[in-house]
Amino acid sequence: MNARSTLRIAWRNLWRNTRRTGLALAAIGLSVTLVLAYTSIMRAYSEWIVETVTGPMLGHVQAHAAQWRKDRLMDRTLRDVAATLAQLRRDPDVGSATARTYAPALAARAEEGFAVMVIGVDTAAESGAARLLPPMPQPLQGRQALVGRQLAELMGVRAGEEIAVVGQGVDGSLANELFTVTTLVTTPVDLVNRQGIVIDLGEAQALFAMPDEAHEIVIHARHPEQAAALASRLAALPAFRNAEVLNWQALAPEMVNLVDITDLVGMLVLVLVFVAAAAGVANTMLMATFERTREFGMLLALGTRPWRIVRLVVAESLALGLIGALLGSAIGVALVIVTHRTGIDYATLTGGGPSELSFAGLRWSLRFYPTLAASDVWRSVTAVCVTSLVASIWPAARASRLQPARALRGT
Amino acid sequence: MSLRFAACVLAIGLATPPTVATQTPPDVDLLLQHLDDLYRSKSSIARIQIDVTSPRTVRSMRVKAWTRGEDEVLVVIEAPAREAGTATLRVGNNLWNYLPKIARTIRVPPAAMLGSWMGTDFTNDDLVKESSLRKDFAARIDRRSTSPAGWWLTLDVKPGVVGRWARIEMLVSDDRLPVEETHYDRKGRLARTMRFDEVKTLGGRRLPSHIALVPTDTPGQRTEMRYLDVQFDVPIANDMFSLSRLEQARE
Repeated sequence: MNARSTLRIAWRNLWRNTRRTGLALAAIGLSVTLVLAYTSIMRAYSEWIVETVTGPMLGHVQAHAAQWRKDRLMDRTLRDVAATLAQLRRDPDVGSATARTYAPALAARAEEGFAVMVIGVDTAAESGAARLLPPMPQPLQGRQALVGRQLAELMGVRAGEEIAVVGQGVDGSLANELFTVTTLVTTPVDLVNRQGIVIDLGEAQALFAMPDEAHEIVIHARHPEQAAALASRLAALPAFRNAEVLNWQALAPEMVNLVDITDLVGMLVLVLVFVAAAAGVANTMLMATFERTREFGMLLALGTRPWRIVRLVVAESLALGLIGALLGSAIGVALVIVTHRTGIDYATLTGGGPSELSFAGLRWSLRFYPTLAASDVWRSVTAVCVTSLVASIWPAARASRLQPARALRGT
Repeated sequence: MSLRFAACVLAIGLATPPTVATQTPPDVDLLLQHLDDLYRSKSSIARIQIDVTSPRTVRSMRVKAWTRGEDEVLVVIEAPAREAGTATLRVGNNLWNYLPKIARTIRVPPAAMLGSWMGTDFTNDDLVKESSLRKDFAARIDRRSTSPAGWWLTLDVKPGVVGRWARIEMLVSDDRLPVEETHYDRKGRLARTMRFDEVKTLGGRRLPSHIALVPTDTPGQRTEMRYLDVQFDVPIANDMFSLSRLEQARE
């Protein structure tokens, strides 16, 4: 007998009892939907951690003068920054490359001085979504400054006012200048919010006597997952001969742990959900064959080969699993598409707490954007099919070994 | 055996100059007070050359400093021209910097006290805390020094005192002049060494005219102060140590 007729009979058998099949499909579909929804949230969570860590502050790869990360001394700088940046920006794997300077200083609106960190950045390149600075209508020019909101509150400074900045150049010379505060900023980085006075990179280089020098080069990779390879390749550049070039995982190992733990917990729950789903499928198939003991006895009595019955039961089970998984995937993917657009706001879910929290020196928005990869869908569909196959083996074997006479009597 | 022991003692006693053998340790408190007073007296006006050497550059400046009592200090940069007129005023525990380029006076907050003073290896804290050694530390004579002849003093920070140093060791020569001072941080590590030399007569006093400060953690880094001239116990106008005076301190 050919496979097509087996499939046709299996298909017909499935819809002989629409309620049972419907319930089985619902159970399988729901499991798959749950698995996909859960996977998408886990994915959102991991991406959220990586993006919060790498987006505004770290980038995927950073370069510093050797030792700078240890003592942050002003005069440990990278030289020839403009040429290095130009070279980096020509690299096909580099999405963006920017330079920063960090200078501890005193800032004052009136007489009272406050300890601040003057951060020189390329304000055009470093503003926007998931960047150091919020989107700005135009980059800072000349003696304009952004002040972190918490620092501004402490200093009692408002937009439009003038502040004095006093620090030290890399050569030890006195650096002092007046800046006009254009905006008070809230950024994802605590350092900026609490201590930051952000000025244009060129202005900072002039003020602190460090022309064409910087303390940090931040690189966003085109393919974030290849950060480590990019870092080791860039480290070999002549421009970085005396520099320390590290990927974000090396710069913030505690964040890597956070992602790993999240993934591990996610995996565990995923396995549990799968086991539950598999049990559902197996149960349905068992019930379906037990219920039809008489029918199988009849088929055997009529001369059907046991092997055909095995194929029939397996085909039914596979069809049930496949349809259920496809239905569940469709619903799951639709759910993810809908929630991905707006994101899921944890704050409102938990009853309107704060909309972000502060951890490890970063601001963490409590909004997640569930995402799925095609592989997630294929994986769960395949897993359900395999489960259906495995779950059908025992009922199929049992059905094929029935004694026709006893089966017909229904014992 | 006791005879041989006695002979040894006798030999040592003969080999060592009698002045040292009979030297009794000085009174610690009086000695510290004397050291405190050495560069300052009741009042002082000094011209000091300061050279800061870093791995990157050498920077020189000349300052004029007025002091009165233990609590009032005014330092004005005279050279280089680019920084001339920049001034620091200390009254008690308060410290202000005046910056002529932007015409602003800024009070140094507690959080910035450990920051560098005017780009040197001295901190703002050094300017403020210099008079509190006797108050914050328990001093004792530690051991005899032979070259140069003098005494090592150990100053241990008193419990409950918040500060940068856990221990300061000082070598003071027999003519009661500082020779060396080492500062240990709260973790007990040697943080910096100060050396005093080039003893001269300035303002009628014999004192080391050259002080070198060498931080331990940055090789190639040092700050040297050289006293060019000093006048002691001269009358200083009452308004010298005021904010209004700070802002027009050029002389």
